[in-house]
Amino acid sequence: MQTTFKSSKWLPYLLLSPSVIIVFIFFIIPSGESLFYSFFRLNITGTRKIFVGFTNFVRLFSDPEYIDSLIRSVLFTVIVVCLGLAISLGIATVANNKSKFFNIYRTLLIWPYALSPAITGMIWSLMLNPKIGVISNLLYNIFGISFNYMTNSTHAMVFIIVAAIWKMLGYNIIFFLSGLQMVPKELIEAAIIDGASPWKRFIKITIPLISPTTFFLIIMNTLYAFFQQFGLLHVVTEGGPGRATDLLVYKLYRDGFISMNTGYASAQSIILLLIVTGITFFQFRTAKKRVFYGN
Amino acid sequence: MKKVLLMCILLVASCMLFATGTKEVEEKTYSIPENVKAAGTVTFWHAMSGSKTAIVDGYAKEFMEMHPEITIEPVYSGSYAETVTKGLAAIKARKPPVLLMSYEVGTQTMLDSGAIIPVYQLNKGEFNFDEITEPILKYYSVNGNLNSMPFNSSTAMMYYNKDMFRAAGLDPESPPTTFDEVAEYSKIIMDAGLASGGISFGWPAWILEQMHAYHNKFYANNENGRNGERASEVLLNGKLGVEILTEWQQWAKDGVLSYGGRTYKANDPFIAGEFSMLLQSTSSLAGIIKSSDFEVGTAFLPSLPGYEKGNSVIGGASIWVLKGHSDEVNAAAWEFLQYLAEKDNAVAWHKKTGYFPVNKDAYNTLVDEGWFENDMRFRTAFDQILNGSDSTAATGALLGNFVQIRDIVGAAIEEVVVNMQDPKTILDSTKVKCDQVLSDYISTVE
Repeated sequence: MQTTFKSSKWLPYLLLSPSVIIVFIFFIIPSGESLFYSFFRLNITGTRKIFVGFTNFVRLFSDPEYIDSLIRSVLFTVIVVCLGLAISLGIATVANNKSKFFNIYRTLLIWPYALSPAITGMIWSLMLNPKIGVISNLLYNIFGISFNYMTNSTHAMVFIIVAAIWKMLGYNIIFFLSGLQMVPKELIEAAIIDGASPWKRFIKITIPLISPTTFFLIIMNTLYAFFQQFGLLHVVTEGGPGRATDLLVYKLYRDGFISMNTGYASAQSIILLLIVTGITFFQFRTAKKRVFYGN
Repeated sequence: MKKVLLMCILLVASCMLFATGTKEVEEKTYSIPENVKAAGTVTFWHAMSGSKTAIVDGYAKEFMEMHPEITIEPVYSGSYAETVTKGLAAIKARKPPVLLMSYEVGTQTMLDSGAIIPVYQLNKGEFNFDEITEPILKYYSVNGNLNSMPFNSSTAMMYYNKDMFRAAGLDPESPPTTFDEVAEYSKIIMDAGLASGGISFGWPAWILEQMHAYHNKFYANNENGRNGERASEVLLNGKLGVEILTEWQQWAKDGVLSYGGRTYKANDPFIAGEFSMLLQSTSSLAGIIKSSDFEVGTAFLPSLPGYEKGNSVIGGASIWVLKGHSDEVNAAAWEFLQYLAEKDNAVAWHKKTGYFPVNKDAYNTLVDEGWFENDMRFRTAFDQILNGSDSTAATGALLGNFVQIRDIVGAAIEEVVVNMQDPKTILDSTKVKCDQVLSDYISTVE
């Protein structure tokens, strides 16, 4: 017997409702509230609101600390994404050569991703501890660099970048590996017969064929680098020394939850929302033109 | 595009609509009605971590045995800042705890929050506030009224490594008393190869506040915000502030100052013997003595010549009673607060932690018991604070949104001692930032 599926007018809405409700409760309403508060100066318990119009936004962009933080975040993101993806692609290419322990390597490589950012921070602060850290001692003994992320701004930034890249490495490698395995063997073989060098094969065949993966990873890594560094920063540097590692997300936390400037922090969250919308929009638009999805 | 613009305008307009009439009427004074029996559950959010959590739990347990109709629920809620943040979020959500611990910098903010019942209004004469140790009472009183119950009070002092002093040929019984001596002794110790640095601080922004009071200088206008007007300007970029930061910067350049973060991170390297001296809260005393395998010495804070003698400021935290609970519960909370301030509890608290006992008689009891002869180090902070001046400048500042100001100053100090920026320039721009915070704050409360 065949059952016919009678579609009612309401069924699609009903089926959509769980996700719509979740989006509403956790995204739309809080964002709306942030937008609302960004036009106010509130007292500490939120019982008094003074309407200040666009003052919070004006102040934000005339605050050198915020501009610095913005530039710092952008630089940080660019470095983490570029360096992170390059290293992961390199490792993935090596790991893709079927070796004896392929499966073990693959499992080991995903491990860093399973750690919480705070744990990542703890591990790296131990390794890079100015006095007792393994890596900082090696750096000192081999290169004569006395690495101290607590008192040196550049060192602190390097620390954060390295830890952030390392954390995302496993995730990137796994995706690159699956991307690399999708590359048809015949194409590579044909290229070998035509006499293309390994480098040429990599640039002309592999890279274009894995571009959907790369594109996906660029989006994920950008969002990761820009928005998910709170745990790491909170554990390691707390934005310091000075404001050397004060990324936008950390500044937002400080202003909103330590200094209790609800209005000012809301304005910052609106800017962050605009940035993330912008990034996604831009990447999807260019993706249509550049990314090769196959036939 | 037009639609978006229209929506924006509508949104702003609706915000303005909401904004009118949100100023709430100020509360009347509260008092517990007659014949109310203290009972119910008293939630108490505090920031006493580690071994201190167990001590607080112990007080609650003992109290409940004496008062079976009252349940005390102490909850460790993270660091001071986290506890205050959680408390304020709970107030906003209209589910406040009954008792909330707030560190000293939250005092003005809590006072203006409109969410608290001042303890002097709860007191109907059953507790004599004069029993509270005087400098502590002075710090937490505003216009002569005590608003929150002091619990864990501390101040800053100097810790030093006596073994290291001995090894360097310095007299371990005469620690440095001036900034110059700190630098001089540090260099002797460093030259002898005993340590890689000379001195470090915990809570550097707080130490700067301490230094102002210690040299009898105001940290903020309106007599530190204590003359009835709220402070609207900080005075940290005066001669003293610049002099201190210039000195610290010189220390950093010479390797004498080993910067150790904004809270307690400097304790571990001190215990590990990486530098010989540490300016830190007295509350670390018991912990440092326990963890060090060298002889720990304690001393007064070092000073600069040419200033009047002030006093070190009370730090630590006090306990606030929050609105939104029944009279029975308020009475129960007040009962518990009195219990905490009793002499025996204050004595025990001091011995286990190094915090000041809040009860005046506790000091005498400790002397009678011979506690200080047993360990003179516990006495240093008392001597420092009881020998100091009781002027308003030495009492410390009351600032609105002090938490943010301390954060701004903390970053400024890092700019000076880590990034080697010019002290005067940094302090001037810090003052501008802090004054903005104060004027914003005042605009939301007045």
